[in-house]
Amino acid sequence: MPALPTLALLVRSAALVTGALSVLAALGVVQPAFSQGPPADPAKEPVVLGVSGPLTGQYAQYGAQWQRGFDLALDQVNAAGGIQGRPLRVQFEDSQSDPKQTVAIARKFAADARIVAELGDFTSAASMAASPIYQNAGLVQFGFTNSHPDFTRSGDFIWSNALNQAEEMPVLADYAVTALGLKRIAVLFINNDWGRTSKDLFAKAAKERGAELVGAEGYLADEKDFRSALVRVRDTRPDGIVLVSYYADGAQITRQLREAGLAQPVVAAGSVYSPKFLELGGAAVDGVHTTTPFFPGDPRPVVQGFVKDYVAKYGAEPDAYSSRAYDALLLLATVIRQSGTDRTAVRDGLATVKDAPSVVYGTVRFDPQTRRVDKPLSTRLVVRNGAFALWDGAGKAAN
Amino acid sequence: MLPTSLGPWLDYTINGLVIGNIYALLAVGLALIFGVSHLINFAHGSVYMVGAYIGWLCVTQLALPLPVTFVVVAAGCGLLGVVIERVGLRPLREAPRIAPLLATIGLSVVMDQTAQLLFSPDPRAPPTQLPAWRIAVGGGSIGALDLLIAGVGVGSAALLYGFLRFTRLGWAVRATALDRDAARQCGVDVDKVNRTVFAIASALGGVSGLLVGMYYNTIDPNMGFQAGLKGIVAQLIGGVGNVPGAIAGSLLLGLIESYGIALFGTSYRNLFAFVALIVILVLRPNGLFARARRLPPEPLTGTFIAPSRPVVLPRWAVWGLAAAALALPLAVRQPYLLQTLGNAWLFALLALSLTLVAGTVGQVSLGHAGLLAIGAYASALLTLDAGVPVLLAVPLAGLVAATLGTALVYPAFRLRGHYVSIATLAVGEIVTLVILNWESLTRGPIGVTGIPPLAVAGTPLVSGQWVYWVPLVVLLALAAVQSRLLDSHLGRTLRAIREDDIAARSYGVELDRYKALAFAVAGFVAGIGGALMAHFYSYINHETFPAPVSMLALTMVILGGLGNVAGAVLGAAVLVGLPELFRAAAEYRMLIYGIVLLLLIRFRPQGLLGTV
Repeated sequence: MPALPTLALLVRSAALVTGALSVLAALGVVQPAFSQGPPADPAKEPVVLGVSGPLTGQYAQYGAQWQRGFDLALDQVNAAGGIQGRPLRVQFEDSQSDPKQTVAIARKFAADARIVAELGDFTSAASMAASPIYQNAGLVQFGFTNSHPDFTRSGDFIWSNALNQAEEMPVLADYAVTALGLKRIAVLFINNDWGRTSKDLFAKAAKERGAELVGAEGYLADEKDFRSALVRVRDTRPDGIVLVSYYADGAQITRQLREAGLAQPVVAAGSVYSPKFLELGGAAVDGVHTTTPFFPGDPRPVVQGFVKDYVAKYGAEPDAYSSRAYDALLLLATVIRQSGTDRTAVRDGLATVKDAPSVVYGTVRFDPQTRRVDKPLSTRLVVRNGAFALWDGAGKAAN
Repeated sequence: MLPTSLGPWLDYTINGLVIGNIYALLAVGLALIFGVSHLINFAHGSVYMVGAYIGWLCVTQLALPLPVTFVVVAAGCGLLGVVIERVGLRPLREAPRIAPLLATIGLSVVMDQTAQLLFSPDPRAPPTQLPAWRIAVGGGSIGALDLLIAGVGVGSAALLYGFLRFTRLGWAVRATALDRDAARQCGVDVDKVNRTVFAIASALGGVSGLLVGMYYNTIDPNMGFQAGLKGIVAQLIGGVGNVPGAIAGSLLLGLIESYGIALFGTSYRNLFAFVALIVILVLRPNGLFARARRLPPEPLTGTFIAPSRPVVLPRWAVWGLAAAALALPLAVRQPYLLQTLGNAWLFALLALSLTLVAGTVGQVSLGHAGLLAIGAYASALLTLDAGVPVLLAVPLAGLVAATLGTALVYPAFRLRGHYVSIATLAVGEIVTLVILNWESLTRGPIGVTGIPPLAVAGTPLVSGQWVYWVPLVVLLALAAVQSRLLDSHLGRTLRAIREDDIAARSYGVELDRYKALAFAVAGFVAGIGGALMAHFYSYINHETFPAPVSMLALTMVILGGLGNVAGAVLGAAVLVGLPELFRAAAEYRMLIYGIVLLLLIRFRPQGLLGTV
């Protein structure tokens, strides 16, 4: 009687699948119900910005920093009356920085008429996979950490206020070569599109300033052990070490570098600027030089308003990622206030915006051709006694 | 630039031993579990992470001294191991052996996500209470923690060796490892043995997590995956299930990596390690330190996959479903839904490919994302650099993936069971690392930008409907071909290899040729899938197809039912769809996903549609 068990099996698995699907459906309907809502006064309807970013997975820590920056900016914008009386909202969709999820999110945002513009994603692979969809839909994709040189090339709806490495690296080279007097530099860089582009631009800038790049080691993003890489660095006999790293790996390298007995000055790209760099690096990161476009000591009111409220809200100092998110949201709020909530108007508004408040840039002005911002602020810092301090000119290479 | 004097080589050697020392901590626990349960425990990395967090809580919140902390961590993680064994694995005792493997993946998702929700994804620095002195050795130095880690590694291995050799429970563990059924007949309480082994291994795993966290001065909820991977590789080099071998294998892996850095540079580290792993597996398939006279520790491949009665859809239902799927965009115009289903069809191509090699031929591949990457890069570079039209480049990419994929896996054809999985895992990593390092061809870390979309007669197919239809049509065509293939003489031959390769061989089946044929077909299907993704995404780099994609593919295949073509499609639809359906749950969604996965394995271990 083979037919009966087969049938029973079929019924059982069908029941299982139906059961699972009904649970999913129940969960699934929560969202449309939430998004439709009762028909309300259009003048009071929230203005919604879509965010595609990692809240879970490998890059979740950066998404969490974004969220803090966004939430703070939303508090401030809405306390000041929102967008002409309409509250500003953020719809943060978790993408895990996985391209197959960012493209689905892009379709979702594009089809949702409430979404005025989109922010993110985090990695280049995830962000740029979704760019054609945003471009075709005529929805602005605003990549505020996307420094890939080709990010904005997907079309006229793709914008970025990420720091331009072609400007950031000469600033770092100025610090390392001109100010600190380093002549034989070894670079350790994270081997992804950002690290690699930065390394090449730094090498060029350092050479122009009369220094020599004696070694360059690209490491994998999830690496934690640098002992052998540092032997290679040591054997090039550098008089200074430059890190193109995020804060976690930057702290790790610095610790292992000091443990390996390398005493040379360390200059790190601005992405290490985070309280976590100090926490994870401990005493070893004392004396590390870095630059930052955003510095809590900056007396400008926009910076002070950000830092004070951030510390009050989260009990911690902001870092590079939360400040970028905060900055991006303030900028878009300004643009939408000036140009209205039409998607194309947002794009046109970005091209003409002039006096948006920014903690990262002195004045925000986009080049309409490249759709990027130039001239970020830059402050030279050094770690002293477990805190970032303004660099006072000390620590020039003796030799 | 090679160091010419002896000094740097001494440093590289010491560094290799120091890092190998760290790998050994995890490899020992993995070896113990594998020895008894024949299970590659993917949850071990998560236990290691939990140990680090328990330690962090003890030191920072409860201000416990370090020795007490170690005891608490060992006890807590030992208990966690018992729970994992009881809740996750014991119910699957009678299930096909592939089910517990999937359960460990599900458990690891649940643990990682829970930790992330409880402790936030931010990395933390666990305070160290160890003296800061360091001994200068060669050009570098060794600290107190290095010695402590070595002590714990070697000490625990020695204790385990003694336990296994001289205690009654240890004998029971070894008897269970050799033959579970015979042990049970002799009165060994197999459940108790399993529980003990999981408790010991997990306690050790937790302590390792704390030690390594202190070593790097950082712990985070995702620290387990990469560490677990290295532990698995290390114990494979030493010979699975061999505790002293795991330590030797770890030290060797550390040395291989360190010398790899010395010879080629930092970004070649893992490339060197995985190539070395494949070489070792091919030359000494049982690991370097397995005794030659020992029987192969793997049972024959057939027992890996339990026979089950597949759900056979009647022909009219298949046609009806296909027609309904094709007609869907006419009725539903939500681009988000169509994109999600389009993604599901693209991943179904990957699952289709994997279900052929893993299900039908029994060669469970853990590196299948590598085939996607080869297909994607082949198609992107053919269109951009060689000027091949997109519609021609996609099938060509399928051929490239078929050829390269088969050639890369070829050395692993003589391996069996878990060794195939690890070898393919290594192949997948090698593909990613070659893409990263072969800049003149692949543009290295910058990735390939501006990949043109699919277009017919100059009209780009980029709307929601086309993103749905193109993969669906390709999928239906390839699935039909694969179904016909499985019903043919060829399909029976491939299943014969899976059921009993010795019998198949004595029947005159040339194993290598048939495996090559299966991998070629699989490579073609996955290659087409990767190529389509490249043209939809317009940008790809070495991170577009990471190792977790291979895990996802395997999960889809097992969920649908191994070897089952319709099951592969269903598995892909469910696993691409679930995270989207759970979107409302925000940061809880991956936790829910892990729990649903565990429930599905628990109640339907042979897959939704059953093994074919």
